[in-house]
Amino acid sequence: MLALTRKKGDSIIIGDNIELIVLDIQGDQVRIGIDAPRNIAVHRKEIYDQIQQENKTAAISSQSAVTILEKLIKNKK
Amino acid sequence: MLIKTKNFGEREIDEDKIITFEDGIPGFYKNKRFITFTESEEEICLIWWLQSVDDGDLAFPLLNTFAVIENYNPEVDESLLEKLGKFEPSDLIVCNILVVPEDMMNMTTNLKAPIIINSKTRKGMQIIVNNSEYEIRHNVYQEIKRYNEKAGE
Repeated sequence: MLALTRKKGDSIIIGDNIELIVLDIQGDQVRIGIDAPRNIAVHRKEIYDQIQQENKTAAISSQSAVTILEKLIKNKK
Repeated sequence: MLIKTKNFGEREIDEDKIITFEDGIPGFYKNKRFITFTESEEEICLIWWLQSVDDGDLAFPLLNTFAVIENYNPEVDESLLEKLGKFEPSDLIVCNILVVPEDMMNMTTNLKAPIIINSKTRKGMQIIVNNSEYEIRHNVYQEIKRYNEKAGE
């Protein structure tokens, strides 16, 4: 992993077209601006991690889901 | 081609129907080829399966969300959908991954990150929506129950 130290107002460029700007620093919080093309998704890591985790849970429980869902669908008849 | 699946045994699939997820899906970025099918014989299908073509153990239950949550309105920056190729709005299939625990009353669906498939190009992706009101774990048991009750009438 590359680690860079930046001051308020400094930037980092990733590839050709993604820029991270340190907009403000207040205590232990950093406000970061992200300038990226609109076809690239940008999210807080926690959200991405939660989605990954949820996908893994869905995949792991898929085997028992088959029987449970069959019951659910049949119940309506 | 024949694929061997953990949940559904051996299945003959039409290679033309394979859906490509160019970036895989979060947590499974290496799985890029999937096929969808349903076990239901209903006209309106409530639940599909997204089965990995290359990993027989990997499958996700998908909910036909609009059937049970009529006002589901995911908002996404259209530029993020460029990877799906060209499409008309009616080409897009939007559904959500279902998590089904042992107690089905705790069944949840990820409204925050739907699966979007372009039926023309057969490309798919999971995308995180802008709406703050949608949860990663939305309990959908009551909505499904209501749908079944209505459908049974």
